[in-house]
This record gives sequence, C-alpha cells and structure tokens, in this order.
Amino acid sequence: MRGFTRLCFITTATTYLLIFVGGLVRVSGAGLGCPDWPKCFGRWIPPVSAQQLPPDMDPSQFNFTLAWIEYSNRLLGMTVGLLILATAVLAIKYYRKSPRILYPAWAAALLTAFQGWQGGEVVTSQLKPVIVSAHMGIALVIVSLMIYVTREAYYAEIGAVSTKSVPAGRSRVWIGVLWLVTIIQIVIGTQVRSSLEIADAANPLLTSAELIEKVKSINIVHALVGLAAAALAWKVLPGILRRVGELLPILRQAGFGAMMLVAIQVLLGLAMMLLGINPMIQVFHLWVASLLVGLLLLGYAELTSAKD
Amino acid sequence: MSENRTIIRSFFSFMIMALILLTAAAVIIYQAEKSRRAIPVLGTVPEFAFVERSGSPFGLDDMNGEINVVDFIFTNCHGPCPLMSSVMADLYRFYAPSDRIRFISISVDPLRDSIETLRAYADKFGVSDDRWVFLRAGIDSVLSLYEKGFMLSGDLPGEHSTRFVLVDRNGRIRGYYHPEDDASIELMKTHIRLLAKEQ
Repeated sequence: MRGFTRLCFITTATTYLLIFVGGLVRVSGAGLGCPDWPKCFGRWIPPVSAQQLPPDMDPSQFNFTLAWIEYSNRLLGMTVGLLILATAVLAIKYYRKSPRILYPAWAAALLTAFQGWQGGEVVTSQLKPVIVSAHMGIALVIVSLMIYVTREAYYAEIGAVSTKSVPAGRSRVWIGVLWLVTIIQIVIGTQVRSSLEIADAANPLLTSAELIEKVKSINIVHALVGLAAAALAWKVLPGILRRVGELLPILRQAGFGAMMLVAIQVLLGLAMMLLGINPMIQVFHLWVASLLVGLLLLGYAELTSAKD
Repeated sequence: MSENRTIIRSFFSFMIMALILLTAAAVIIYQAEKSRRAIPVLGTVPEFAFVERSGSPFGLDDMNGEINVVDFIFTNCHGPCPLMSSVMADLYRFYAPSDRIRFISISVDPLRDSIETLRAYADKFGVSDDRWVFLRAGIDSVLSLYEKGFMLSGDLPGEHSTRFVLVDRNGRIRGYYHPEDDASIELMKTHIRLLAKEQ
C-alpha cells in the first residue's frame, strides 16, 4: 500500500516537528502559557485579551504570546494523535496479518493517547522537571515506534523482505551501543538542564556563564561522554558503511545522516560551553539528539533483518 | 552515482528544513522574551459619566490620550487615604513638567463628599490644575466602576482598596501598585516611562 507508507512517513515527520515545537515551548518558557488543561484559561480557543478570562483567574497570569505558543503545541499534538490513530486503523485494514506493522502502530497510538494525558500532568505539576523529561522520553518512544512502522511498511510495499546476506560482523552491536549512549546522553542532558534551572531559581542574578560554572560537574560528564560517543561514531560508522552500505541503501543514508548529526551535536554543545546557554542552541541540541536516536534505530533495524 | 545524489539531496533538504525551523524558532523565542518584558494589558476601563470637583462632567473620553493613575478615596477617611493622597501629591509634583499624565481620585463616599468637600480636599494637597482631578458620582455608579471596571475588591467606603491603577492612553488597565510600598511606586514610575514611549 503506497498510500499507507506515505502516511507513515508524514506521521513520523510531523512527530519530529512536534518534538521540535515541544522543545520550543520549554526554552521559550511558555510551558505554563495556559495554566489549565486541556482548555486554555477555561476556553477551547485561548483568549486574545485578559478580559476574556473567567472571573476566577488572575489576569496578570495571562500572556497572549505564551498562551498561543503552548496552545500550538497542543494543537499539533492533536494533529499527530489523529495521524497516528489513522495509521493504526489503516494498519488493521491493510496489515491485519503483519504483526510487525500492526502491533507497533497500535502501541504508538495507545502511547500517544497516554502522552496527551501526561501533557496535562506536565501543566498541573507546574513543570516539575522529572515530569517534563518523561514527556520528552515518551515522545522519543512514540517516534521510534513510528520509524519502525514506516520502515516495515516500506518493505511490505516494495515486496522485499531485506534478508540479504551481508557481512555485518559486529556492526549491529556498535550501532546499538551508539543508540544506547545517545539515550544516556539525552538523560544526562536533561539533568544538566534541570540543574541549571534549579541553580537559576536559587541564584536569579547569575549570568549564564556563572550558572554553567555552578553545574560544572554534571556538565563535564555530559561533554566527555558526548565527545567519546562522537569519536566512537566517527570511528565505527565509516567502516560499517564501507562494508555493508552498498548492500543496504537505507543503512547507508541513515549512517551518513547520523555522522552529520553527531558533528552538529558536538558543535552545538561546544557553542553552549563557549557562548553560554542560549535557548536557540538548546532547542536544536535536543532536537538533533532525537533525530539521531531515530537514524540509529533505523540503521539497527536494517542490520537486524539482514543475515550475517 | 544516483545514490550519492540522493544523499546530497537529502542533506540539502535537511539543511533547508533546519534553516526554516531556525528562523521560526528565533522569531518565537524573541516574541516570547518581548512579551515577558511588555507591560500586560489587564483590562479595559468602561464608559462612565462622573462629575469633577470643578462641576464639569468627566468620563472615559477625558482619560483617553493621557496616561492615568487612578485611586479610590474618601475625604473623611482616617486610615490609608491620607497616605494614598500624599503619595499621589508627590507624584503630581514629580510629573509637574509633563502634561501627558493625569491623576484621578474617585470618591467612594458620595453622600459626604460633595463637590465643595472635594475642592477643599484638593486644595489641602496643593492641587492647582486639572492634572489631578477628583471625581464624584452616585454610589451605584462608583461601585460598578470600582468592581467591574477596575476589578478592585473591598467594601465601600470603609474597606476600599488602596491600590493605584495605571491606565494607558487607550483606556486599558496596565498595572496595580501599592502606595505604601516605595518599590511598587518605583515600578509604577518605570512602567509610566515605558507607556509614554508606547505608540
């Protein structure tokens, strides 16, 4: 089903856009732009002026820009939710007998429903760091499932199960290690960010350079693990691409993309060390990490279905 | 070869997409920062028809075009009103060189505060022009303006709110301040300066 594969691809891309917008909500400080959930200031369409607020809400809480930034995350979230639901429903129609498509598609749909509810918890918890990070973690799982579904649908469509015999060797282990390290880096990175926020709340007048100094130890861990992972990626990925890239074109593209993203990540990380915390760099640093997770997963899946 | 071209093409489309996102993110983050710095609009003052101490009518139209600082007082008040009016008098003198700001004191005790009483009260604080006006109306109109228009609370007249309300040139409420707190009044002066620069 050509249409199904395309729907999967569009859904995955939109989910990545949503992850970007979610990061933007966080760095622009719009997380509490709507203090209630699922409505915004008691309305389905956010108010445009403080006078539209219900009487029990404090008008000084209202900020038009922040309310709409937060609300656009919810609207795009709804869109992605409907797209994933459509994928899952169509999976029943076309791929009832393909559990490798059907199950992950439904897992993604159920997890997305949960994510919508959890997004409400993010707001009611007043942006408690653990809950905000969990929101992002669930998003990564959902997008990973969608990548898996898209890949399976693609192979089902072209009618080829890629069970070519390739000299993969330890390639799969290495890509798995890189994937795991990327996840660990994301976790440490969110810790860097919450430590920064805690330090900022305790010392509101520090410059961003002084704040970085405050969270030095965890920051150094993040930087060193990141540099080590980048070195590993640039060491093993070219070899893997040379050995098996010819036989697995998707792996080749994913591997090449991953090498580029790793380089971008190192540059963005260095930029923050040198220039201080900048919301623009922050949002891209996290988003590129989420893309990296997706590409590595794609490469891993390519190698799994190939035979040694 | 065509595979290489695909890789180059996806690399460039990624770069273009990243550039679009970069621009969008820059605009959104800038707007969010700006909106946080901006003085919020908290409400709009409704139409009202009161009488000034000179005997001439005074309403919303007379507020428009000026930056207004509004408070609610009564002349027999021995609690916070003398302090409120003396802080207002300080501001009245401080802004003497400017005709872009108007001070408005509204009586919450119209039964006792006649036009003459208000005139005497104004004289006591050295008010010599209409940069500071004193308004009077029936208690129902005052109550409605106080609660619904200015969103203040506290029983009239005895428990009336002591807050100063800042209203911009378009009749929009931009802030509430505490006259007993110097820091709050300094903040109001900063906001007044920013409002004066707004278009």
